[in-house]
Amino acid sequence: MRILVVEDEPDTSRYVCNGLAEAGHAVTCSANGLDGLHQALNESWDLIIVDRLLPGGVDGLSIISKLRDLGKRTPALIVSALTSTDERVRGLRHGGDDYISKPFAFAELLARVEALLRRAHPTHVTRQLQVADLTLDTGTFQVARGAIPIALQPRELRLLAYLMRNEGQVVTRTMLLEAVWDCHFDPQTNVIDVQISRLRSKVDKGFSPALIHTIRGVGYLLGERT
Amino acid sequence: MPVRTLDNSIATRLALGNGALLVVLILVTSGVFYFGTVGVLDRSMDGKIISISNRLHDTYGAQPTAELVREINNELTDGIDSDTEIFLVSSPSGQRVVGNLSTWPPADTPTGRLVNREVIRDGRPSSARLIVRPLPNGGLLYVGRDLSEQRAIRALVWHALEAAAAVSLVLVVIGAWLLRHQIERRISGIRSTAREIEAGNLDRRISISGDDEFARLGLDINRMLDRIEQLMNGVRHVSNAIAHDLRTPLGRVRARLDEALRRETTVAELTDAARTAIDGIDDLILVFNKLLQIAEAESGMRAEHMGLVDLNRIVHDMGELYDAAAEERSVRLSVGGQSAVWTHGDHDLLASAVGSLIDNAIKYAGPGASVELTARSEAQRVCILVRDNGPGVAPAELPRLTERFYRVDRARSQPGNGLGLAIVSAIAKLHGGELQLFDAGPGLCASILLPRPSASPLERAPEATTAPPPAALAHLSHR
Repeated sequence: MRILVVEDEPDTSRYVCNGLAEAGHAVTCSANGLDGLHQALNESWDLIIVDRLLPGGVDGLSIISKLRDLGKRTPALIVSALTSTDERVRGLRHGGDDYISKPFAFAELLARVEALLRRAHPTHVTRQLQVADLTLDTGTFQVARGAIPIALQPRELRLLAYLMRNEGQVVTRTMLLEAVWDCHFDPQTNVIDVQISRLRSKVDKGFSPALIHTIRGVGYLLGERT
Repeated sequence: MPVRTLDNSIATRLALGNGALLVVLILVTSGVFYFGTVGVLDRSMDGKIISISNRLHDTYGAQPTAELVREINNELTDGIDSDTEIFLVSSPSGQRVVGNLSTWPPADTPTGRLVNREVIRDGRPSSARLIVRPLPNGGLLYVGRDLSEQRAIRALVWHALEAAAAVSLVLVVIGAWLLRHQIERRISGIRSTAREIEAGNLDRRISISGDDEFARLGLDINRMLDRIEQLMNGVRHVSNAIAHDLRTPLGRVRARLDEALRRETTVAELTDAARTAIDGIDDLILVFNKLLQIAEAESGMRAEHMGLVDLNRIVHDMGELYDAAAEERSVRLSVGGQSAVWTHGDHDLLASAVGSLIDNAIKYAGPGASVELTARSEAQRVCILVRDNGPGVAPAELPRLTERFYRVDRARSQPGNGLGLAIVSAIAKLHGGELQLFDAGPGLCASILLPRPSASPLERAPEATTAPPPAALAHLSHR
C-alpha cells in the first residue's frame, strides 16, 4: 500500500517510515506542511499520516481539510503531541479518520494503519462470521465452536465480533476500548486483558486450535496460527 | 486639593461630586426661600400701591381737589403704614398741593406704571416705589411706598442665605475630606495586604471589620487568596511528588540501560534491557498523562463537550467493562438502579471517573468483598455511589486521599501512582460537584455528587432512550 507520512520531527519520521516499510508498505516521507500538501493532492495514496503541527505554514489539519474539500476520501491518520481529548475531537471533525497521540508505540500505530486500510477496502458484510470452527451469527447472536454452543454476555459478543471481523490482524487495547466499550479514554489498567482472558476461557478453553492470541506489547489477534 | 488627585482618586471625585450636588441643593433651596419671602413682600406692596392709587384716582379724580387733599391727609394720619406711605398731588403748574414729599420725580416720569425713584420724604432722602397718575385737572397724583424697610428685609434674607451657604460649603469640604479619608483608610488596608502577599507572605489576609461593601470585597479577596494558596501548596506538593515518583523510575531506567551498555552483554540481554526500559517509560508516560488529565480538568477547558448524560447508563457501561476484572479478583460487582439519572457533563470524563472508583474499590477491597455501584437522583443533586465492604480507610486519612500522589500505602508496595482519586476529584469539581469519601462501616464509600441539570432533560435529549443496557447487542451489526 502507498502511504504518505508528513512529519517534521526527524526521529519520529524515521521511526514511522522504517517501521511501515518493514511492514511491507511503500512509504514516502515529507518534512514540511507545504510539500506534504502538494504530494497529498497531486499523487494518489492509500493512506496519509500527518503530524498535527508542521512547519511551512500548513498544519496537518489543513492538509486533511483541503483533501476533503476536493472530495478525496483518502484515509487520514493524525499524529500529535497535543493529547487533550479536545484535540482528538477537532482532528476527527476536520475529516481525520483516526487520531494517535505522541508518544506512541509503533505497534499501536501499525495496528491503526492496518485497520484504516482495511476499512477503506471492506470485504462484503456477512451475517455469519466464521474463523476456523468458531462461528458467530450476528442476527441470532448464536456462538459455537463446531457443534458446541457457547454462551456469551452481550458485551463479550460484541468483543468477539470485533475480533472476528479483524481476523488475522492485530488489534490494540485502545482500539478494543473504543470499538467495544465506546471508551474514548484510557482506563490505564488491565481491564481489557482481563476481559480477553475471560473470553478466551469461554471460546478457547478445551478447544483446539486456540484462536485468541496475545501479541506482547501490542494487543491481541484472533485467527488460526500456523 | 491638587488637580492631580482628581484624576487618580475616586474618593476625591466622589466627595467633590457629592459636594457639587449639595451646593446645587443649597442654591435651589435658597432660591425658593428668597422668592417665597422677598418676592411675596414685593408683590403685595405693589398690589397695595396700585389699589390705593386706583381708589384715589377713580373716587376723587373728578371731584374738587379739596376732597382729594382731605382724603390724602386722612391716609397720612390714620396710623396704618403711615411711616412708609408716600402721597403727593401736584398742580398743573408742578407745585405741591398736598403730600409728604419735598422732592419728587420730574413730571416726565412715565405715568400709569410702577417705577423706582429717589425722593425726599419728610426731609429724608429715600428710595421709593411709586406710580404716577395724571389727574383730570392737569395735575399729577403720586402714590408709593418707602423701600428702606423692604431693603432691610432683603438684606437680612441675603445675609441668612450667605451664612447658610458658607456653613454648608465648610460642611461639604469636611464631608468630602472625611469620605475620602474613610475610603482611603479601607483601601490602604487591602493595598498593604496585597503588597505583603506580592512580597511573598502568601498567608496574609485582609482584616475584616463590619459588614459593608469593603468588608464583603475583603471576604471575596480572602477566599480567592485561600484558593490560590491551596493551589500553590498543591503545586509544591506535586513538585515534591514528581521529584520522587518521576525521578526514581527515570533513574531506574537510566541505570538499567547504562548497565546493559557497559557490561559485556549478549543480544538477548540487551533486548531484555531495552524492553524493561520501554516498560518503565510507558509507566512514566502514564503518570504524565494522568497529571495532564488533572490539569485539563482543573483548567475547565472541556466545557464545550458538556451535554446531557445519563449517569445510570455510564454506571452500567463501566460495570460491564470492569466485571471481568472483579471476577478475576473474586470481588462481587453489582450494579443497581434502572431509571435514567440525568446530569449535564462530559460523558468521557465522567465515565473515566466512575471507572477509576471501581478500579480502586476492586483493588483495595480485596478478595471476597463486594462492590456496589449505583447512580441515583436526589432532591437537589444527582450522585454516583461506589461502596465496598473491604477494610476501608482510617478516617484521618480520608481528606488526604484526593491529594495528588498521596498514598495510604506509604511503602508503595501496592501498584498505583496516587493520582486516581485526585483525577476523580478534579473531574467532579469541573462539573460543579464534588467527590466525597466516607467510612461505609465496613469499607469505603466514594460518592460523586453533581448538580441536577436545569431543564427537563427528557425534552432535550429525545435520542437518548432511558432503556438501560444491555443495549450492547444493538452494536453487533457492522460499524
